[in-house]
Amino acid sequence: MSHESHDNHGEHHPSGLMRWVTTTNHKDIGTLYLLFSLLMFFIGGSFAMVIRAELFKPGMQIVDPVVFNQLTTMHALIMIFGAIMPAFVGLANWMIPIMIGAPDMALPRMNNWSFWILPFAFTLLLGTLLMPGGGPAGGWTMYPPLMLQTGTAFPFVIFAVHMMGISSVMGAINIVVTILNLRAPKMTLLKMPLFVWSWFITAYLLIAVMPVLAGAVTMLLTDKYFGTSFFNAAGGGDPVMFQHIFWFFGHPEVYIMILPAFGIVSEILPTFARKPLFGYESMVYAVASIAFLSFIVWAHHMFTVGMPLAGELFFMFTTMLIAVPTGVKVFNWTATLWKGSLTFETPMLFALAFLFLFTIGGFSGVMCAIVPADFQYQDSYFVVAHFHYVLVTGAAFAIMGAVYYWLPKWTGHMYNETAGKWHFWMSTIWVNVLFFPQHFLGLAGMPRRIPDYPVQFTDLNMLSSIGGFLFGASQLIFLYVVISCIRGGAKAPAKVWEGAKGLEWHLPSPPPYHSFTTPPDAEIWAHPYRD
Amino acid sequence: MGFHTIKNLARAAVLAGLALATGAAQAAESLYNTPVGVTPTSHEVYGLHMMVFYWCVGIGIVVFGVMIIALFRFRKSQGAQAAQFHDSTFLEITWTIVPVIILVAMAIPAAKTLVRMADASDPDMSIKITGYQWKWQYDYLQDGFSFFSMLAKSSDEASQLHSGIDPNSVDHYLRDVDHPLVIPTGEKIRLLLTSDDVIHSWWMPDFGGKTDANPGFVNLYWIKVEEPGVYRGACAELCGRWHGFMPIVVVAKTPADYQAWVKAMKAANGKYVSPYDGSLEDNGSPVVFGATSYNDVMGSPAGAPVPAGTTVSTPVLAKPGVVTPTAAVATPSAGAWDMATAMDKGKQVYTQNCAACHMADGKGNPEMGAKAIAGSAIANGPALAHIKFVLKGKGVMPAWGNILSDADLAAVITFERNSFGNHKGDLVKPDDVKAAR
Repeated sequence: MSHESHDNHGEHHPSGLMRWVTTTNHKDIGTLYLLFSLLMFFIGGSFAMVIRAELFKPGMQIVDPVVFNQLTTMHALIMIFGAIMPAFVGLANWMIPIMIGAPDMALPRMNNWSFWILPFAFTLLLGTLLMPGGGPAGGWTMYPPLMLQTGTAFPFVIFAVHMMGISSVMGAINIVVTILNLRAPKMTLLKMPLFVWSWFITAYLLIAVMPVLAGAVTMLLTDKYFGTSFFNAAGGGDPVMFQHIFWFFGHPEVYIMILPAFGIVSEILPTFARKPLFGYESMVYAVASIAFLSFIVWAHHMFTVGMPLAGELFFMFTTMLIAVPTGVKVFNWTATLWKGSLTFETPMLFALAFLFLFTIGGFSGVMCAIVPADFQYQDSYFVVAHFHYVLVTGAAFAIMGAVYYWLPKWTGHMYNETAGKWHFWMSTIWVNVLFFPQHFLGLAGMPRRIPDYPVQFTDLNMLSSIGGFLFGASQLIFLYVVISCIRGGAKAPAKVWEGAKGLEWHLPSPPPYHSFTTPPDAEIWAHPYRD
Repeated sequence: MGFHTIKNLARAAVLAGLALATGAAQAAESLYNTPVGVTPTSHEVYGLHMMVFYWCVGIGIVVFGVMIIALFRFRKSQGAQAAQFHDSTFLEITWTIVPVIILVAMAIPAAKTLVRMADASDPDMSIKITGYQWKWQYDYLQDGFSFFSMLAKSSDEASQLHSGIDPNSVDHYLRDVDHPLVIPTGEKIRLLLTSDDVIHSWWMPDFGGKTDANPGFVNLYWIKVEEPGVYRGACAELCGRWHGFMPIVVVAKTPADYQAWVKAMKAANGKYVSPYDGSLEDNGSPVVFGATSYNDVMGSPAGAPVPAGTTVSTPVLAKPGVVTPTAAVATPSAGAWDMATAMDKGKQVYTQNCAACHMADGKGNPEMGAKAIAGSAIANGPALAHIKFVLKGKGVMPAWGNILSDADLAAVITFERNSFGNHKGDLVKPDDVKAAR
């Protein structure tokens, strides 16, 4: 990528490798985050390929059950902390300063740190696979006492999680400070683009809950090595307490992975519908409500753990409430399309697929909220299908849409639209072949996290595996599109999309090294959602 | 992948499509949907599941319908001009209120069912279920006996990595156990769930759900099975290496047949009586008489925590103390305890309980953190230390004192000290184990 823009001052940065190591530039760091996340996406994805290969037919053919458990655990940790979250932070780094008319992030040195912790954290985490006893095999949820049976890998996993947490919190602080301090004159909070809004709220969620995760894993560490009994009943502790603490982090974490996706979709749909976003303010309030609710629903991840009736009822009602603001968002997006003038470039296709498939994930979410029914769904493949619909066709599809949407802006080149469309259709078809049958498997009685299964589940597992292999292979098209777009292509204009509004389209493609060195005039950004 | 498989795949795809389109795959319910089941709870759960599912299908038809119409009607390529409207307070209020009403309509019946499910009071009988890595223990608190239930041998052999055995050739592959739980129909049975090591979850789809078995705590769940039959389920909470290999089988019998089985069990001198044909098992792990009390079972210090919100009464027929196997089967008289007997029995116990981690050749499995027994300091050191280690466990190694009888432990320890290249030559006696407890 080239960032040459010769009319710009202060471009005295090292070149070559040291440029990337020492960079404090929001675009460089955004690029690093995005490339790192792409690498992790393929590593986590390769684990999923082995998982689906082992599950292709009954019987153990490829890996030992212990290795299988390590793969499911690592697949989740890598995808959540290594792929989805860094991708969103990368998008935030690249786009937030530009979208609010700032020259850079508010805390550039911390920005450098928050990225450069990640490669070390994930080297540590992936390195555990080579240790005696292998990597963590107790699931990404790390429930004790099982997690305490981890061998040499145990403290390394804990420290890797700590490092990821520190990185996330630093990134989040930076985003909050940037948004509060560096907005263009007259850009009040309720005039910010929705992507900025959704990240603003997400950043607060991160600051609130990452320390909770750090506390939970530290208690695991002291239980194992320092004789404490936080989670050991024989010492007066309670293993279920870990689950409460973990999910107090974990549920907001789920929204950390979806709220920025909401923001992205709210940017893409109006552009390709050539129509302002419908219900801007209620969209902002809906994101805020979802964020608030995320703190009072955590125990719906553990309905079968043996909670008192009052607890089960409380968490059932609060969980069902989430459907309301989420529904508001889906309805507003639909109203945005209504009477628009639609075109279907690749970013729009991904945003539309998000709209349909995330809604399916929402439906299974409502089903899981019904506690008596959840006594069947809990820990079954139904739940696996549910969260992959919201995380793959939700979060990951939104990220891919965002990449296609802004790639010409970042690189100054148009991507290959034909290849992009192939990537979209292959992904969308096979992701459904992959995950839709898993609903039926779960309902029919297949537990999750098992390396082998009774023979009556064979057909649907084969179908799911075939979908999995082809979905995985489809991502190579994505890799091709991204690389070829970085290397060259038709020159992209400043305003890449006909219907695009917002400040990013007022800078050339690629933008100058320091985005807005003087605050943009309110005239030129107007209100992106109020024509 | 033969023709048969392809045909099955096609059938699965068609049925999956049908299920999506029509809302329920009635034709092959058990393969694609939650079972209706055989308990009052499972019927209610099934009803709720289908109700919410139909709500989702209905809402989906409306929402997706509007989206699809928009995608076809408002295309730029068809000359659509974009309108510029961007909000409507009326619409925002409507699509906030309407979902709330629908959710309330779902929540009321769900809450009612939940209240009924939570009421485990006044049971006709209680069975304590303890999860272990990787088997279940069923403790008949009224009748005072207990036994372990683990994956059937045929499934176990076929499920080994590269076993070469086709799972399709195995009866009830991964859904069969050596000793099924036997229960009477028509009686309210309270299940007391706990665990000896990590968290497990006892899932019987036909009984309407699952409940976690947490170490150090007792969870309550109740069932009332209406029809005699054989029902199959599995552990649903990740519990380590063989998590996918600890199924549950429950045989429900009419009360009269059930009583006959209980009587036969009591008369069988510690052998397990098959609920299928009444045959006696000749060399499984023994049925243990003299059930333990709540606190013994918990293995916790005095004042063991009782879970909040549950009403756990100390089970009847509680007899504190160590689990004592019946003399006839598990503890041969002192005279009969010689090296040959111990080695023989020890090999059997080892294969059943230890080989999964320490491997058949005693070389251990570093992937699991299972140390080698061959040449180990413990197996070649003082016998008492060896006994204590096996009794109490350490880290990944379970505390076998809670699981195996004195005789089994004496046998397996003798076996370990005199196999895999270990030549201690000493014979551990059941009394040594008893003394070391």
